[in-house]
Amino acid sequence: MAFRLRLILAILVAKVIMWLVRLLGRGKGSSLPGMVALRICPGILPCLARQARRGVIMVTGTNGKTTTNNMIARVVREAGYRVVVNAEGANLITGVTAAFLKAASLSGRVDCDYALLEVDEASFPRVTRQVYPNIVVITNFFRDQLDRYGELDKTISLIREALVQLSGTRLVLNADDPLVAPLAASTGKEAFYYGLGEHHQVASFSTAAREGRFCPHCGRELVYVYYHYSQLGNYRCPGCGFSRPFADVEGTEVSPGSHRVSVRLRSPAGSCELVIPVPGLYNLYNGLAAFSAGLLLGVEPEVIISALAAYTPATGRMERFRYRDKAVLLNLVKNPTGFNEGLNTLLSLPGPVDVLIAINDNDADGRDISWLWDVDFEVLEEHHFRINFLVCTGQRGAEMAVRLKYAGVPLEKIVVEEMPRAVEHVLSGSGKTAYLLATYTALWPLERILSGYAKRENHVESLPSVS
Amino acid sequence: MLKVCHLYPDLLNLYGDRGNVMAYVRRCQWRGMEVEVYRINLGDPVDFQEMDFLFLGGGSDREQNLMAGDLEKRRELLQAAVEDGLVVLAICGGYQLLGRYYRTLEGQVIPGLGLLDFYTEAGRKRMIGNVAVELEIEGEPVRVTGFENHAGRTFLGQISPLGRVLVGYGNNGEDGTEGARYKNVFCSYLHGPLLPKNPRLVDYLISLALKRRGLPAELAPLDDRLERAAAEIMLKRLLK
Repeated sequence: MAFRLRLILAILVAKVIMWLVRLLGRGKGSSLPGMVALRICPGILPCLARQARRGVIMVTGTNGKTTTNNMIARVVREAGYRVVVNAEGANLITGVTAAFLKAASLSGRVDCDYALLEVDEASFPRVTRQVYPNIVVITNFFRDQLDRYGELDKTISLIREALVQLSGTRLVLNADDPLVAPLAASTGKEAFYYGLGEHHQVASFSTAAREGRFCPHCGRELVYVYYHYSQLGNYRCPGCGFSRPFADVEGTEVSPGSHRVSVRLRSPAGSCELVIPVPGLYNLYNGLAAFSAGLLLGVEPEVIISALAAYTPATGRMERFRYRDKAVLLNLVKNPTGFNEGLNTLLSLPGPVDVLIAINDNDADGRDISWLWDVDFEVLEEHHFRINFLVCTGQRGAEMAVRLKYAGVPLEKIVVEEMPRAVEHVLSGSGKTAYLLATYTALWPLERILSGYAKRENHVESLPSVS
Repeated sequence: MLKVCHLYPDLLNLYGDRGNVMAYVRRCQWRGMEVEVYRINLGDPVDFQEMDFLFLGGGSDREQNLMAGDLEKRRELLQAAVEDGLVVLAICGGYQLLGRYYRTLEGQVIPGLGLLDFYTEAGRKRMIGNVAVELEIEGEPVRVTGFENHAGRTFLGQISPLGRVLVGYGNNGEDGTEGARYKNVFCSYLHGPLLPKNPRLVDYLISLALKRRGLPAELAPLDDRLERAAAEIMLKRLLK
C-alpha cells in the first residue's frame, strides 16, 4: 500500500532529522522535519491529526497564541488527558505537522486525547483544510508584520472564510476586541465569549496603535465606555448598535503584580479567583481564554485554576533567569501592542532596571521594522530615571537606538553593541533587574548567550501566593 | 513658533508614519524652537497657509477612501498653501493622492488631488523590501535607507524626482527614480520612517519653513552619531 509506505518513510525521516537537529544543537527542530515529511507524504497531516480521540483545539489571533495554547495544554493534561501540542510556537503547517510527528510511533499511530494547536493567522485556512478543529480560540487582532501578511482586514477575512467552511466548530472569542467578536455572527458559529470587566486600572493608555476604531459592520467610529489596552475594551457603535457581547467568562477586580496577576471570575460554573504566575494584562486575557476552553471541554473549574496557577511560560514568554543577585527577565516582542505591554511591565519592575533590546529583521521577525515607531517608547522619557541604560543589539540595534533617542531617552543612556558584549553589559549593570526584550530570531541566540552566565530559574519562587 | 500639521493621524498611521512628525518636532525642540502640533482628523478645521510643515502618511485602502473625500474638499486651500511654499512631506498613500490619478488593476481611474504632475498605476506584484536612495540636498548627495511596500507604480510628468534608487524599486521599478519634489513638497515611498533616519533632510525641511516665514534659517548642529551609524550599517548591508 503506497500511502502506508510513504507514511512510515516520512515519519522515519522526520524522526532522524529531529534527532540530528537536537544533536547538532541547531534549535529545537520544530519545523524542518514537518517540511520534509509533508514532501514525502502530502496526506500525512490529516492522517495523524484525526487520531486525536477527543478532538482538536486551535488557537489563532495576533498576540498570545503560544501562551494561550500552552495554558490550555496544561489544563487538559491536569485533567488527565494525553495531548499533542506544538508548544514551541512553530505555528505554520510544518510546525503543526512536526508536533504530530513527534508523538507518532514508527507505524503512524498517535496516542492522544486532544491535539492543541496554535496556528498562524495566515496559515489558518491551509491548516483547517487538513485538520478539523472542534474548538477555535481567537485571541485578538493587531497589526503585525504587515510586509508578510498585507492588511489586517485581509487576515481577518481569510480566517472568517476558513471558519465558514467548517461545520459544528465552536468558537471561543475575545468579547473585548471589536475585530474578533463579530466572527460569531459573520460565520454563523456558536460562540463562547471571554472578557475583562471594568477595574481600577482601566484607562486609555496606548491610544496610538489602536486598530479597531471603526465599526466592522457600518464603518462608524466606535464609542468606548473604557479601554483595557489598544482597541480592547467595552465598545458600542452609535450607528448600527453593534456592541461588546455579553462575556460568558468575565474577569473583574484585577490585581496586577510584577510576578503574577489575579482576578475574580464570573462564569457559568460560578464565581472563583484565578491567579496566573506571569505578569501583564495580556497574560490575563490568555488565562481567560484558556479558562473558557477548559470549561467548554468539561474540565472542573478547580482543576483549571490549579493548572493555570502552575503555568510556566515557553521560551521568550517572560522567562526568568538569575545572575548573582540580579533577576533577569527575557521577553519576546513582535508588534506594537505586545511591545507596549512589555514596556508597561518594565515600568512595574523593582528598579533600577538595566535594559537590553535586541531587534532582528529576518523573515520570522518581519523584514520591516517601521513598527518600532508605533511603539510608545515615549513613556520612557518621563520614567528614564528608573532605568540605568538601554543596550540595543541585533541586526537593527542601531535603528532601535535612533528610535529611543527620538522618544526622548537621554543619549548617555543609549548604547549599541554586538550581542555577546550587550549581554555582558546588561548583566554587569548595577540594577536590581535586567530586562531583555527581543524579536523572534534574536531570542534564541540571546537565550544561548544568557545561559552561559545566568541560571535559569525554576519556578518555585514564582508560584502564586495564597491570597 | 513653528506649526506642524499631522493630517489624519488616526487614519493614516501605517508603518510608523508618525515617526516623521516626531523627528521634525524633536529636532526643532532640541534647538530651543517652540513647536505646536495640530492633529487634524476628518472634518476638523485647519488653515494650511498658517502651517509650517504638513505631514501626510499612508493608510490601508479602507482608511484611505474615508479621508480622500475629506481632503478633496480642502483641495483649493491646500493648493494655495503649496504654491505659497508650504513645506509638505507625503509618504506612500499620501504621496499617490497628491498626483493626477490612480488606476486600479481593473482599469478604474480614481482621481487624485492633482496638485503635482504624476500618476500612479496599480501593478500585480507588490514592491516590497529595503531601499537605498541617493538624494540631493542643497547640492550635496545624501544616502538614505528605508523600507518600501506598495503596489502602485508612479510615473512622473513635468516634475523632479526626490532621488535616485541605489537598491530597491522606487517609484515604479523601471526608471530608477524615487519620490517627487515640487516647490517645497517632498513625496516618497520610503517609510521606515524617512525623517528620523535622515537628519539632513529634516533640517532642510525645518530651514525651508523658517525661510518661508522670513526667519534666519541657519540651524545649530546636533549630535547625529546614532543616526549616522544606523544609516551606515544598513547602507553597507544593501550596497555590498
